[in-house]
Amino acid sequence: MTSILESGYAFWNPIIWIIAFVVVMVIVYFFRRRGQKQYKKDTAQARIFLCGEEVPEAGQRHIRVGNIYWGFFETLKEYYNQVLRPHTGIINDYILWFVAVTAISVIVLLIAGLAK
Amino acid sequence: MAALITHSPILIIAIPLLAAFLTLPIGMASKKARNALVIVSLTFVAFLVFALARDISINGIHIYTLGATSPDLTTPTGFMVPVRIILEVDGMSILMGIIWSIVSLAAAIYSLSHIASETGQNRFYTLLLLMVTGGFGMMFTGDLFNLFVFLEIASISGAALIAFRTRSADTQEGGFKYIVVSAIAGLMVLFAIGLLYAQYNLLNIGALAQVIQYTTLDKIALALLLIAFAMKTGMVPLHLWFPDAYSVAPASITGMLVITSHACMYAAFRVCFTLYGGVIDAPVVGWILIVFGLLTMFVGVTMAVYQKDVMRFMSYHAISQLGYMWVGVGVGLAVLGNPALLATYGRDAISGGIFHILNHAMYKPLLFFTGGALFHYTGTRDLTKMGGLAHKMKWTTILYIIGTLSISGIPPLNGFSSKILIYESVFRFNPILTITGIIVSILTLASFTKAFHSAFMGAELPEYKEGKEVPKSMIIAMMILAAGIVFITLFPSLIVDWAIHPAADALIDQGAYINAVTGAVP
Repeated sequence: MTSILESGYAFWNPIIWIIAFVVVMVIVYFFRRRGQKQYKKDTAQARIFLCGEEVPEAGQRHIRVGNIYWGFFETLKEYYNQVLRPHTGIINDYILWFVAVTAISVIVLLIAGLAK
Repeated sequence: MAALITHSPILIIAIPLLAAFLTLPIGMASKKARNALVIVSLTFVAFLVFALARDISINGIHIYTLGATSPDLTTPTGFMVPVRIILEVDGMSILMGIIWSIVSLAAAIYSLSHIASETGQNRFYTLLLLMVTGGFGMMFTGDLFNLFVFLEIASISGAALIAFRTRSADTQEGGFKYIVVSAIAGLMVLFAIGLLYAQYNLLNIGALAQVIQYTTLDKIALALLLIAFAMKTGMVPLHLWFPDAYSVAPASITGMLVITSHACMYAAFRVCFTLYGGVIDAPVVGWILIVFGLLTMFVGVTMAVYQKDVMRFMSYHAISQLGYMWVGVGVGLAVLGNPALLATYGRDAISGGIFHILNHAMYKPLLFFTGGALFHYTGTRDLTKMGGLAHKMKWTTILYIIGTLSISGIPPLNGFSSKILIYESVFRFNPILTITGIIVSILTLASFTKAFHSAFMGAELPEYKEGKEVPKSMIIAMMILAAGIVFITLFPSLIVDWAIHPAADALIDQGAYINAVTGAVP
């Protein structure tokens, strides 16, 4: 079978997964069909309700990229302070990193050779 | 047909080179004829690549000697060693060739509309075809000096293409950074080649591999080659230039630049496995790749979550995904000297790394193309200014979702197939590698969800109400890559058996590579 991928411990067959996915979708659709049928499109039923407050315009109520995962960045503030530091945008710094990594690699290879 | 296949390695390099120089005069006469020339030449090259791949799957390594009376006559009469320019195409190089042919064709189709309003299109396509030439040359050459030459061709044309939109300063800065980094990397590669040539009087990879001693100079050359190529792939902490350059290029070119990164990774693998394979301190070099690979995965993805520019966001993800490949192949290299471990999980780890190159080559250019589509529609790369675009860009939204699910390793998409191969094989080497990989995958999905919400979800914004979906050629180009994703998703085993395992075996079996050129196994 060209779909079965042996991965060492087990196997992976996307066709079985897709069949399972389709079955789940059919079940979901079945329950959805049993839902409220009196829903009326384009009436007050479909409007956004914000505790009676006026709903802002589309552009103002969209959560922009800068506001997503705020807690994640706040928690990892120290990590980001460190990891952003080398991103100076200066090409001289980039080449210095290259020199440093090459030098470390040469030293590691030479020391490993001496240890043998 | 037989003659065509015999000469196909050089034709695959020569056709885009010839088309590159024809593009300018033909483009001055007719824009349509120029576009037709670019698409037809790249389609024919793709056909040749697939024909050559079929031939290699049947007959094994394909050798092509330039200037010889017969293409397989590698050592001229009266000589003890091969001195001519030799192209050597095995399972690994042809896999890279297949990837390059598909992505470059998709990028050219995408460019038809994406740069339609720009000036200097003749030069754009000339440079695009030169980059294609450089890429194929890097993948097919069996000679170290030619590897350097083709690396330079790809780098110089790449830098010019990054700086193509001359009206904005950031493109010029990106192009400048790319050429400086490429020049330094190229010089170090040339210096390393000089070190090897000074000792062995050889440039042919197979012939050099037969006699290399792993002297102190050889170790220095190995470090120079490895780190220079690693810098070109964007390995952390040498990745700093990567988002600066990749984010400002036209999206079609960014998609192609991803594959030039793969070509540099291929060159690094070739150096480790084929050139130094018989003498290398495999566990040490393997661990170097693994450690830098882990760093690349983690730093890449955490930096991606932080981004607000859609193309920088995509660039950091490209860096992160390259880490998986380094880790997979690094584990295989670390156990190269141990046949039992190599058979138990080393080959699977290498296969997983290589499979991830193929998958990444489908979904990453697709995602860059969707980023380019967003730029095409909104005129900005700033995610904070986007929103509700799914209302107008239905095709782009669907294609973005396909790319997102694939890069995040969500089953049943192709990214999952290669990641599971990597996870299950590297787990037996060290479980921390798998755990890191899974965490990085979760962060990848989280960051792509964030970008998806920012750009596509929400109510239709007033400033984007009047626009319409991107032109057909851009959609077609994205669909070509999406079709590749769907095919690999449905038939992972077919791909692994036909392309991935032969590529992994080509890396492991150093003797076959040497034997194809010199006729002797060391």
